[in-house]
Amino acid sequence: MESKKYTLRIQRNEQNSDGSIASKWQDFTVEGLDTTTILSFLEDIKGNQDGSLTFRQSCRSAICGSCAMRIGDRTRLACKTHIGEVVDENGVVDISPQRNQPVLKDLVIDIDPFFEKIRKIRPYLTEGEDSDTHVGASAYDQVNHVTQCIMCGSCYSDCTMSEVSDEYLGPAALAKAFRFVSDPREGKKTARLKALSKDHGMWSCVRCVQCVATCPKDVKPMEAIVKLRTRGIEKGFVKGVGQRHALAFHEDINKSGDLNEFTLLTRSVGIFGSIAEMGVAFHLMQKGKIPSPFPHKAEGIQEVRAMYHELEANPLDVETKAAEVEPE
Amino acid sequence: MNSHDLVIVGAGLAGMRAALEGVKAGINVAVVSKIHPLRSHSCAAQGGVNAAIDPADSRESHAYDTVKGADYIGDEDAIDLMCQVAPECILEMDAWGTPFSRLEGGLIAQRPFGGASFDRTCYAADRTGMVLLHTLWEQLVKAGVQVYEECSIIKLSKNSDGHVAGLVLYDIKTGSIYPIQAKAVLMATGGYGRVFISNTNATTNTGDGMALALRAGAPLADMEFVQFHPTGLLTSGVLVTEGARGEGGILINASGERFMAKYAPNRKELASRDVVSRAEQTEIIEGRGKNGGIFIDLRHLGAAKILERLPQIRQLAIDLEGVDPIHDPIPVRPTMHYSMGGIRTDKYGETPLPGLFAAGEAACISVHGANRLGGNSLLDTIVFGKITGERVSNYVKGMSTTPDFPMSDVEECIVEFNNLKHRPDTGVKAVGLHTTVATSINLNCGVFRKPEGLNKISGEIDGWRKEYEKVSVEDKSDVFNIDLLRAWELKNQIDLAECVVRGALARTESRGAHSRTDYTERDDKNWRKHTLTTWNESSQKVDISYGEVRTVGNPDYVPKVRTY
Repeated sequence: MESKKYTLRIQRNEQNSDGSIASKWQDFTVEGLDTTTILSFLEDIKGNQDGSLTFRQSCRSAICGSCAMRIGDRTRLACKTHIGEVVDENGVVDISPQRNQPVLKDLVIDIDPFFEKIRKIRPYLTEGEDSDTHVGASAYDQVNHVTQCIMCGSCYSDCTMSEVSDEYLGPAALAKAFRFVSDPREGKKTARLKALSKDHGMWSCVRCVQCVATCPKDVKPMEAIVKLRTRGIEKGFVKGVGQRHALAFHEDINKSGDLNEFTLLTRSVGIFGSIAEMGVAFHLMQKGKIPSPFPHKAEGIQEVRAMYHELEANPLDVETKAAEVEPE
Repeated sequence: MNSHDLVIVGAGLAGMRAALEGVKAGINVAVVSKIHPLRSHSCAAQGGVNAAIDPADSRESHAYDTVKGADYIGDEDAIDLMCQVAPECILEMDAWGTPFSRLEGGLIAQRPFGGASFDRTCYAADRTGMVLLHTLWEQLVKAGVQVYEECSIIKLSKNSDGHVAGLVLYDIKTGSIYPIQAKAVLMATGGYGRVFISNTNATTNTGDGMALALRAGAPLADMEFVQFHPTGLLTSGVLVTEGARGEGGILINASGERFMAKYAPNRKELASRDVVSRAEQTEIIEGRGKNGGIFIDLRHLGAAKILERLPQIRQLAIDLEGVDPIHDPIPVRPTMHYSMGGIRTDKYGETPLPGLFAAGEAACISVHGANRLGGNSLLDTIVFGKITGERVSNYVKGMSTTPDFPMSDVEECIVEFNNLKHRPDTGVKAVGLHTTVATSINLNCGVFRKPEGLNKISGEIDGWRKEYEKVSVEDKSDVFNIDLLRAWELKNQIDLAECVVRGALARTESRGAHSRTDYTERDDKNWRKHTLTTWNESSQKVDISYGEVRTVGNPDYVPKVRTY
């Protein structure tokens, strides 16, 4: 392999005396192989070009979760990201701190808000009435992917819902919650599902799949969220907008194979909620986008129903069983 | 001033386990950590944790294996204690929610590990340390323990009677320097892998706790015993778990020959780590390696087993070495991994310095003697985190007053940091001096230690100290000044390097991980004793003395020739 020149375009952030952040981009030229990691380059820059460049790092082996930062188009662990995977055709890559969290300096963010969300879900095994003492060989199969989480914050940084809501728990906290809800020994499974069904919890996820795509440890947070939702509905926590919306979908697809968008809104947010949305409805009407109140039955509705019955019979298998990594 | 009954330094497994004992005892306990607890290097332990939980195994057998593995210089009272309580300590972690891998029927699964006569290493795939660490953090959150996160300790303070009075902290987030008062301090700061240029450790493993304890007057023991792990990745040093050999991985040289049978006919790859590392180094020295390394071959295990049992190892090999172990052998070499030495304690973690306790890799209790067995370090942290935590909690409960904190310590630290930070640019960078120190110790104090190398490096130490006085830093800011912190930490690393080198030069025998080319035999008559290094304030150097090995009179523990 041949050594090449690359440009790391790094966002430098500095705290002003009033606590605000002054931000600028700075280019650093480095030389290495296309398999050299971003962390090695950052260390190289800190050691040989600019000692003030600041970033978190510790284990160098993708297990401590310190070095998550925006590299190119998403958040990655600097220690396991090869430069060759992320540079553009000119050998340039942008590096900036994680999103959705306050910046302290250069590539270092304040991790407290992230960990506050983790604390909110009560991240520990709890005694209680739902506890089963037997833990079989397959007890953790369902949560195996979730126990890989190293709390690096990558998912939170790239989460589109966290971008617009400070209160949303976020993918890592929900994945952690799923780990406890699924532990046979956990005593408060139902209480946890009830709490997670409230606002800013598991129903706030918009299922954009960013967290699954970005996670460096293959935790698949969104799949955990989907499983949590299924269990919440099974326990009867169906009063929120999210649950009602999902159940309305379920009802329509099962019945006609198509959505009745005319009544979907009322069924999701209720009469009063719908009145609040009248302004939007008016605009839609002006543009001729109000759907027909009488949707037709989709072709092949029998097959759709058959699929539904299959799903209902084996919900967890179909939804979310973690895919095995196939060797090439 | 912040004040607590007990301050624990380090939020890895030992520190957090100890903190839970403080909570149980009802004392005011706080933890200080220079990184978030979940970033602690305990998370990088992969393979597992030993405990005789299988009815067919025995605690006595575990203890015997450990005494032998330690090459008869471990303290037998502490080894017996550790192996006796191991099963309960593991089951306690299990009850707190650690997702151990299971057998059909629900028992915790166990795998074979080096130097063990029974398959007694409990594991969670190849991320055992990480899941244990997360479990203890969960319990810490549940208990509401105060953690001073991202704060470095820069001084261990004593009152006028010489009793520990607390610490001076450097808050990394703000740059402020302030005292924290305590009736007792427990050092659980882990190891000092960074002292060696090629190591499996995190870059934050700088041995601060050991170095501050040394400077405060506590002896460090057995610092010359440094474990080289047989399978660090060739280019980065990152760890490939012993579990990879436990699952059946074999070691081969450049021509594909499986060489371990020549060195350890019975246990082969699963001989003790010192034995395997020497075998590898011999292959490399004699020209049968490639690019300074040899290979671990997992291909015959098949994709399914690799993916189930060693998924992380596979990913690390792909990410850091560009090799997929399903298809190719992984290039590895002996790499500095663990410090058997540390702050000298009794079997309850108490040091000779009043009010100072230590646990985990930072301590030398000594359960690992001259060579630690794989799977015993996680156990050490869990067991002695608990025992020392209990002990120190009782200790502070017995104290009627809190020792006066010497505020002049804070002033001195502020001056020291200011001088370092604002020293005019000398062109001498900490990173350059660190490379010099760490490369030299790797070369001269590695797997095999030659007299000329040891003499050479011991002549370099004064030069390093002089050079250190010239180090200047570029970053002048207060917020997250890692440049400054690393420059300061380098002083600690030079202190520890001196302890390692002086101990190794003095010990004219080969035992466990300490292998002299000029004294190739173990010498029980003269050297079955602990090396103690203490800081001499007037000469500004370390002094060496020796201490007895604590024996229990068990006839099985009488030293014999150690073969595998």
